[in-house]
Parts: sequence; C-alpha cells; structure tokens
Amino acid sequence: MAPDSSARHGPITRRKVLGTSAGLVVAGLAGCSSANDDGNGNGNGDGTPNDVPLEVLHAWTGGDGADAINKLTSMFKDEYPDLQTDFRPIGGTGNVNLDSVVARRLANRDPPAAWQAWPGENLTQYGGLLRNITDVWEDNDYTDTMNEMAAELCRLNDEYRAIPLVSHRMNNLFYNVHVFEEAGVDPSSVDSPSALIDAFDTIQTETDADPMTHAMSSTWPTLQLVFQNFLGMDGGYDAYTDFIEGNGDEDHLVEALELTKEMLQNYINDDASTISFTEGNSEMMKGNAGCIQQGNWAYGMYRAEDSGVEYQEDWDWMAYPGTEDMYMLHIDGFTFARDTDTPVKQKTWAEFLGTKDAQVEFGNRKGAIPLRTDVDTSRLTPFLEMTADDFNSVDQFPPTIAHGLALAPEPMDAAMSAIGNNFMGPYDVEAAASALLDAAAMQG
Amino acid sequence: MESSQDAVAGAGTGEHAVEDRRARLRRFWKSDFVRSAPYWGIPLLLMGLAVYGGIIWNILISLTDYQGFLERPDYGNLDLEMYRQALSDSAVHLTARNTFVLLVAFTSVSLVLGLFLAVLLDRDIREKSKVQTIYLLPMALSFVVTAQFWLWMYNYNDGLVNTVIGLFGLGPYNWIGNPSLVLGAVIFALIWQFSGYTMVVFLAGLQSISNDQFEAARVDGASIFKTYWRVIIPQLKSSSVSAAVVLMIFALKIFTFLYAMFGTYRPPKGTDVLATLMVREAFQLQKWAYSASIATILLAMSLLVIAPYLYYQYREGAL
Repeated sequence: MAPDSSARHGPITRRKVLGTSAGLVVAGLAGCSSANDDGNGNGNGDGTPNDVPLEVLHAWTGGDGADAINKLTSMFKDEYPDLQTDFRPIGGTGNVNLDSVVARRLANRDPPAAWQAWPGENLTQYGGLLRNITDVWEDNDYTDTMNEMAAELCRLNDEYRAIPLVSHRMNNLFYNVHVFEEAGVDPSSVDSPSALIDAFDTIQTETDADPMTHAMSSTWPTLQLVFQNFLGMDGGYDAYTDFIEGNGDEDHLVEALELTKEMLQNYINDDASTISFTEGNSEMMKGNAGCIQQGNWAYGMYRAEDSGVEYQEDWDWMAYPGTEDMYMLHIDGFTFARDTDTPVKQKTWAEFLGTKDAQVEFGNRKGAIPLRTDVDTSRLTPFLEMTADDFNSVDQFPPTIAHGLALAPEPMDAAMSAIGNNFMGPYDVEAAASALLDAAAMQG
Repeated sequence: MESSQDAVAGAGTGEHAVEDRRARLRRFWKSDFVRSAPYWGIPLLLMGLAVYGGIIWNILISLTDYQGFLERPDYGNLDLEMYRQALSDSAVHLTARNTFVLLVAFTSVSLVLGLFLAVLLDRDIREKSKVQTIYLLPMALSFVVTAQFWLWMYNYNDGLVNTVIGLFGLGPYNWIGNPSLVLGAVIFALIWQFSGYTMVVFLAGLQSISNDQFEAARVDGASIFKTYWRVIIPQLKSSSVSAAVVLMIFALKIFTFLYAMFGTYRPPKGTDVLATLMVREAFQLQKWAYSASIATILLAMSLLVIAPYLYYQYREGAL
C-alpha cells in the first residue's frame, strides 16, 4: 500500500459518494424516530387552541358512509374555519382495521384525539385512557336530549366518555314485495320466528326465489340472526337481558339456535359461504330472494339512485318477527383519548357531533337515525322517519352483541368463536349454546 | 511515512509498539473488509434490526405478561407462562394444525408441479420461443385481486370450479362453506398463484444445463424420463432450495390472502391459522404477550418444517 496511488486521493470517487449517501440514509432514519414526538401541550390550560390539528380516525371509506362523513366534516369546517383538523379514514368492515390501528397507537402511547367507536361494553377495553367529556354533555343538555339508553352506554366509570352520532336499527327484516305477493305471504301475519319459517316454506314452494338470503363469508351476520330469533321468541327481551348479564337461559338459547339452524339449513341461498351481505342484499333487490335480515345499513343500497327499487313498491320493511315492540340498538359514536395535545378541540368536536344538524345530515346520508330525541323527524327520509318515530315510541332497547354494545371485546370474541367454530355449517346446536353461554359468563 | 518510521527506529520498544499498532490500524482501515462495509454493513444493520431485532424483541415480550394499554411490559419478571397457556389452548392446536398442513401441502405440491411444468416447458423451449412469462403472471397479481376472484370461482351456484367439475358429473361442492374442503380450496388457490414462480426457478436451472448432457444420455440409450430422473433433476438441488425457501415465506403470507378473501381476522374455522389467531389476540384483545408467544410458535414451526430439508441439502453440498 504505497501512498502514491493518486486515484485514492482524487477529489470525489464513486465509492465516496456511495459511502456518504449511505451514511446520510442512516442518519435520516435515525432522525425519523425523534421527529414526531415533540408534544409540548402549550396553551391548553387556559382553553386557547394551539396549532396541533385535531386528529379524527373513522372507518367510513366508501359508499354512503363516505358521503356522510364528508358532509359532516365540511359542516364542521364551515362552523369552525380556524380549527385545524386531520380526518383520517381507515378502511375495513366492522371497524376491524380501525380498531387495530387504534390499539397499536394506544399501545405506543401515541393516541389519536378522537376515533369512531361503538359505545357500551366495547369502551371498557380503553378504560383509563379516555377523556372525561361530562361537561360537554351537561353544558349542551345532551343528558336530557339524547336517548336515555344511548346516553347510559356512553358512560364509563360514572363519566361520559363518548358521544353517540347515529343509530342503525338491528331488528329488521327487509323483504321483496313482489316475492311475498307471488307467494301470497301477508307480512303482517308473520309475528314470530316460527311463523317466519312457515312463510319461508310457502315462498319456497310457491316461487323460484330463495326464501331468505344470508351472508356467511364472515361470522357476524349469523351471530346477529341467532339473537334476532332469540329476541323474537316469547319472553325474548327478558331472556336477552339475562343472557348479556351472564345468566342466560340455556333452553331459550337452544331453541333460538334450533330455529336458526332450520332457517340456514333449508331456506337460504346455497352460496352463502362465499358472499358478503351486500351481494346477498342485491339478490333480494333483484327478486332472487324473499328477504334479508340485516342492520338497516342495508337501506343504503335501496336508496342509491341506480338501485332500481322503490320503497314499498319493490322493497319493504318489517320489524324482525316477534320483535315489533323493540328497537335493537346499534350506535355509531366517537370516543376521545385523554392524553393528547388537543383537549379543547376534542370537546368542540364532541359538542358538534351532538347537534341536531350533524346527526340529521349524517344520518340521512348514512341511512341511520339521530340519537337526539328532540329532532323534527320529518327532516329525515321517509323510511328513516318511520324508523325514528318507532325509536321514539318503543321502550325496549336490547343492545347489539355483534356490534360491541352488549359484550366487551373478550366475551364478544368468544361469542364470535362460538358461532364460527360450531355454527357455520355443520350446525352443532349444543356446542354453540354452551360456548355462547360461556362467552356471556366472561362478562361478569 | 518512511521518515517517521526512520525517526523512531532507534527509540524504545514501547514507541515501536505504538507505531506498529498505528500501522496495523491503517492497514485495517484500508482493508477490503472496512472499505466494503458501506455495501454489506448497512443492509446487515437494517436487516439485523428489523428482522432479527424484531424476533428477539418478540420473544422477550412473549416472556412477560404484557396486556392491555395501561401498563408497559415488565421485563424484570420473565417466565414461560404464556407458552404454557398457548400449548394448552385448543384454538392454538387447531390453528397450528391448519398452519402445518398448509405449509407442507402448499410447499411440496408447488415444488412438484413447478418442476413438472418446467420440464415440459424446457422440452419445448429448447426448440422454440420463450413463453414462461405467461405462467409467471399470476404471481404478479396482488392477493387482494386473487382472493376475491377465487371467492367467485368457488361460488356454489355459478362459480367456475363447480361449473367445470359439473361437466364431469361431479359436485356441486360447497368449497368454502364445508370445513373439511375449505383449507384444500385455499391451498389450491395459492398453488395456482405460485407454482408459476417455482417453474421459472427450475426453468432457469434447467437452461443452465448444457445440451451435451442430453445428447450423452441419449447416446447411452437412456429414455427421456430416465435422463431427467437420473441426470438432470439431481442437478437442480440449489434451485429447489431457493424455491422452497421462498414458497415457505409465501405460505406465511397466507394471512393477507385470508383477510382479502373474508374481510375479517376470523376466517372460517377450517382455514383459521396461527397468523390470524395471533392478530386477533393482539389487536382485538390486546393480549400482547400471548400473541407474541403464538408468533414464536409460528416461527419455530416454519423453521421445523424447512429444517430437515435444508439440512439434507446442506449435506448434499447444495447449500
């Protein structure tokens, strides 16, 4: 290695360039880790907003949900033009992706300011991390104007920690008017799950349509259907209340599962295992199936301009047989992290979500009803007006299991496993019943 | 350099040693090892941190009782409790069995099918043009696309699979709804997607073998089958190692395929694998330590499946 090789001392060599740039990359990577944790929390104590934007995560990425949230956010920006916001949609059905993003961020001590969440037992998983927004509820009289049950579900450890936005009714049976007419089935005569099975039998013999369409590519529609039958049977409401408190009546549950088994084995579409509820819903709209049991998000497809179906002419609604006096409750709301730099903005957002305008405009687009009991229901679309009037007149609100209100994540996961492992064909009633009872017993 | 060495030549041995060390240091800095460091060092660092660091951290978490959001993992108190729980959990047994079947069936069938296709194509290509890209195309498609269209293909009423086997008077079968068929259906879809890749790897190996060997075998009177079996295929060992390793990795990516197919972390019972169970435990139930232990089991299982094969190839000198 004589020191005479001038090439090695040349001004810039290829190797030097590569080496330097590689070094810069490493330095850059190291820099990233410290770039976004400079939370200073200035100016919060006195209630003046700072420059940190309000970060809101939600799962409404497409279709009517996207329309609804876009309307909502533009209303919010019109009302608070100086408030910086960062609305971030995270796709996936049933909030699965959203929930896992929130879980990751909370575990990493980097919580979003607000995120779309089901209230009720679902909130318990975030216990100790949620902001107390009781003052927002009280200052705006939401404590009096929200549906009582919904308000109760937004409380955790005695304080309000969530705000409800809209509700989808769960105990619906949407049916194709032409199929029911062709079969000669009078919907008003179908008043119990077993009467529904009789009606299915008539539809099967009288028409070419499948009596009911059902989607089994995921587990939740079946979990939903089991508890529709459970509620629709005699004494369903009380039995349901006992069940979600962990004291379920096994005989009642077994009978509900038997009814569901009979429906799934004999009266649904053969391709249930490969379709989603939207595909099933469109079969009902086309008249290839008589009816579908779904939350009333299904209505979003009927009202689309190119749907080709009209309310009460082509499709119609009835409460799931036997549940006419109930409104099975689902709630879409928002909850708020405690440790953020945007406490004032969070409360502004919470206050806004509770306003009549926000709930009506969002609900009309999403196909859901406001949870405020003092809105003028004629501001809603005809179908939603009917639903909202029903909502304001019934007094039994069984909370949904499949959508987080009634069971905390762990028992709910166990309930999903109970159905997924024993009741997606072949149908093992005994095993499913005992697994479901075990799941609810975890609630304690 | 020369002069300074002259100057110290007569000084004490201590100074001499310092000079010696300096010279060695200088040699070290000029050595190929150091000069090439930016090229292998940075990838090694990134790999080491992202992959092996991740694995070690995961194992560490699996030894704690970390769950929920409120408390940080306690690294001062490590035990194997999570593994004990996992090994007695029926959900782990079920998903481990499915994962094992998937790993073995998918990898071996893809290898055999890929080799078969490669041999067929090789016969052709030696005379004609190159068409292998056609077979490679499925691999270029995203799981999001292939999962959805396999779901349509497996539709009970109007799916292509039931329509085709219906021509032979078979079926229809409920491919996805029947717990004993669904795993096979998913494995078949994956094989469709990746056997083209195996074929290309083998084909590259085949084409590096010179025509002389075929001619020599023919002169010796070997049949075509015998030529491949005895002469050609034994030379494809290193191709099959690399193909097998890559296939294993794809098999572990089954999570993406299942999620794209069913839209939830809970696929039908028959296809529930360790990866989906792990994600549910972690991100739906916040049982971080428990899901980390499932992840370790998954890693151990993949290594176990591939280890005998790698060892065999190592002994044969192909690795």
